[in-house]
Amino acid sequence: MATLLKAATTTLRSTFWQARSITTTPALLIKEIHEKTENNARVYEGVNVVSSRSEKMLKPACDSTFCPECTLGLDIKHTDVLILSQYVRSDGCMLPRRITRLCHRQQKKMGTLVTMAQKAGLMPNLAPAWSKKDPKKRFGWRKYNKYFLESTIRY
Amino acid sequence: MHVYLQQWATFARQWHIYDCTWQNPFESARLVKTHLMGLHKPIYHPMNDCGDHVVLINTKEIALPGDEWVKRVYFHHTGYPGGASWTLAWQLHDKDPTMVMKKAVYNSMTGNLQRRHTMQRLHLFADDNVPEEILANVTNQIRTPRVVPQRLDHIDKETLENFPTIMDYPKDYVLR
Repeated sequence: MATLLKAATTTLRSTFWQARSITTTPALLIKEIHEKTENNARVYEGVNVVSSRSEKMLKPACDSTFCPECTLGLDIKHTDVLILSQYVRSDGCMLPRRITRLCHRQQKKMGTLVTMAQKAGLMPNLAPAWSKKDPKKRFGWRKYNKYFLESTIRY
Repeated sequence: MHVYLQQWATFARQWHIYDCTWQNPFESARLVKTHLMGLHKPIYHPMNDCGDHVVLINTKEIALPGDEWVKRVYFHHTGYPGGASWTLAWQLHDKDPTMVMKKAVYNSMTGNLQRRHTMQRLHLFADDNVPEEILANVTNQIRTPRVVPQRLDHIDKETLENFPTIMDYPKDYVLR
């Protein structure tokens, strides 16, 4: 029955769902969006760039199965901003799992640690453009120094 | 047999300095109390007046864990009906940046007649502007239990560039 069905739909598939082996734009390259104004027209341009991180990558981190806790044995705290800043965008937004390639538990943990670092005001330069940046200018009790305990993370 | 021992500094009052930057006042209070009362000395006795002076600097830079700035409440009652008042820790810190630290040390000691006199040996400063005559006495710095965290925008450029990465962008990533 299955073979019959397959045989019946082969012609349909070949006529309607044509597999495209050619792409009009080169995928598989890191891009940076550039914005400029030319003759009263705003031009947005996607420029191919080489990742600045590729040379500094740790060897075990290049593997497909990499975990900062299991592979490297790192006990990351919310004060380790040099590590945590690698998992956020320039506006302080956490990168999704598709890009960080962490396991579910690590992704949740890293997200919590990033939030802790941001609330403690340790990554003020990685924030949205409209933010005040300086943690001392925050409103009310938020302007005072605070730290967090990693034991409160549930994951 | 008598052995001659030099004990010039044994009965002298030492002066210690403690930097409160990013320190929990309640962790620090236990350390400061030990030095204020002289509990760290082998000659300690409650009836022996052997406590030291402690200078606390940068008390406005203290750090509390989590949301404790809004959870910790200081109670006061004037004695009149309806005279009760509750002040949050951050509101007290707004009014007087040395008060949270002072109360932490005061409350860490048991309430006896000696406590007020022991507190006279505590010198609190909101920032690092300490009078010269006080700073001239200081001979020791108390080690702080918590490491002062470094802000990402205060880390020098060389460290930022040479720090190894553990995550590279996928090949089809659009940088943001």
